[in-house]
Amino acid sequence: MSGYQLTIDDYSKQNSSKILKKVIFYVLLIAVIFLSVYFIIILDTDWHRIGSGASILKQLSYFIGLDAKIMPHLVLPAFETFLMACLGTMLGLLLSLPVAWLGAKNVTPLGSLSFGFARMLMTISRSVHEIIWALIFVGAVGLGALPGILALAFRSVGFISKIIAENIEGADKKPIEAIKAAGGSGFDVMYYGIIPQILPTVIGTIIFEWDINIRRSAVMGLVGAGGLGLAFFRQMHMSNYPGVTTVILFIVSLIVIGEILSHYLRKKII
Amino acid sequence: MNNNEIYKRNNAKNFIYVSLFFFVIYLCFLYLGIDFERFFSALGRFGSLIANRYYPVEIPYVLEPGYLGLVIGVIIASILAYFAASNITPSKRIGYWIGKFFIIFSRSIHETIWTILFVTIVGFGMLAGTMALTMYCIGFFGKLFSEELENVDMKLVETIRSNGANEMQVFAFGVWPQVKTAFTGILIYTWDVCFRASTIIGFFGAGGMGWYLKRNVLQLEYARTSAIIVSIIVLVIFSEALSAYMRDKIYKETQ
Repeated sequence: MSGYQLTIDDYSKQNSSKILKKVIFYVLLIAVIFLSVYFIIILDTDWHRIGSGASILKQLSYFIGLDAKIMPHLVLPAFETFLMACLGTMLGLLLSLPVAWLGAKNVTPLGSLSFGFARMLMTISRSVHEIIWALIFVGAVGLGALPGILALAFRSVGFISKIIAENIEGADKKPIEAIKAAGGSGFDVMYYGIIPQILPTVIGTIIFEWDINIRRSAVMGLVGAGGLGLAFFRQMHMSNYPGVTTVILFIVSLIVIGEILSHYLRKKII
Repeated sequence: MNNNEIYKRNNAKNFIYVSLFFFVIYLCFLYLGIDFERFFSALGRFGSLIANRYYPVEIPYVLEPGYLGLVIGVIIASILAYFAASNITPSKRIGYWIGKFFIIFSRSIHETIWTILFVTIVGFGMLAGTMALTMYCIGFFGKLFSEELENVDMKLVETIRSNGANEMQVFAFGVWPQVKTAFTGILIYTWDVCFRASTIIGFFGAGGMGWYLKRNVLQLEYARTSAIIVSIIVLVIFSEALSAYMRDKIYKETQ
């Protein structure tokens, strides 16, 4: 009987400590929210400058309307944005193939050394924002579409190579061993054993990344790589707010087209 | 000689050695003429020196727009996702399309463009950044969470509904327990992405680290620029490791 009592005591003790932990967690969460509100809304915001609700509405009303005059000048940048995304994804795929080869545990040539190196490359590629990549490449190769393509390629490497590497790791081992037993080289194993297995998923991933890259390439122009971002930047600096709305409309329609295309293509492949 | 005596004698010996050691150090200080007060307060001043002079980035100004934007964005996005999930939406005709439209709209526009728009409306500062990140979180979190809501097991939901529960009860007892884990996972992932975005929004006028980056890019201070980029990478890798650890822990707890 006493043993039974003890377990109940233990249980309630455990439960109360769990509740205490939960309470501490939520109190901390709310405290951080209040701290953020204090920092952002009370300390850092100049309410006088923002003005009343009416002035905000007035500021917003500038954006209403479309500027038909700049529409013909936006077709070429929109096309450029689209091509930048395509080329960036292609180059990213080319760059991510060796990284994926090094970063898959079962095919990596030098064990944990090359595996760790490839994982590091993937993390760096993913953790640097595309704007920062674009800044680096604008500094390196100058203005134009080329730095945008390079930035998109380097940003895509992390995601594509991670998915490819995970697929290689999860590939069925039986065909690989059969090819090895028949005397196939490492290249044969890769070409006949692994690639046919991972191809559908990889192509789906590439289409998905292409879809994201359209979104990214639309802002590359903000830091000096071409495309719709540059048009947006120009309209913004000329304070032509209807023009800004027009450019945003172009960007959104381009992205929606890309999304529909990618949805359709992925459905067809998988 | 018993153990106690040996112990005492060793103790005395050790005491002499230690006091000799400190005495020598004291002599060194005396000989070199070092002011004790200055010496012991150096560590504190060193910290503030680094914080003020060598690394002039206020960390809260990097973290907080991301955090607040995440909290507000997730609250709004959860409501929108509830409307935008085709199987559990309360009104299929209007609510579904409104929810879907807002999620797609806030997702279509890149976070940097949101930042620029909000900066023109409410002015420079972290408020604009918070609003931009809120929109970004609505798009990101709303899409993932509404997809998760569309994949719930409808049998449980139907059972609860056929027992006469209203919409709130259906959500609380039929849907929420199924998506709880996914909600936390997506939340952590959104935090990760939002943090990455919050390091860059300052570039377009929303305070924080991006502002230092922009200033140094414009001044062509490439060494400082690369220092800031490296600190951004370190911060992001740290937050990524943290979120991977938390997701792992949640995954293990639910197993």
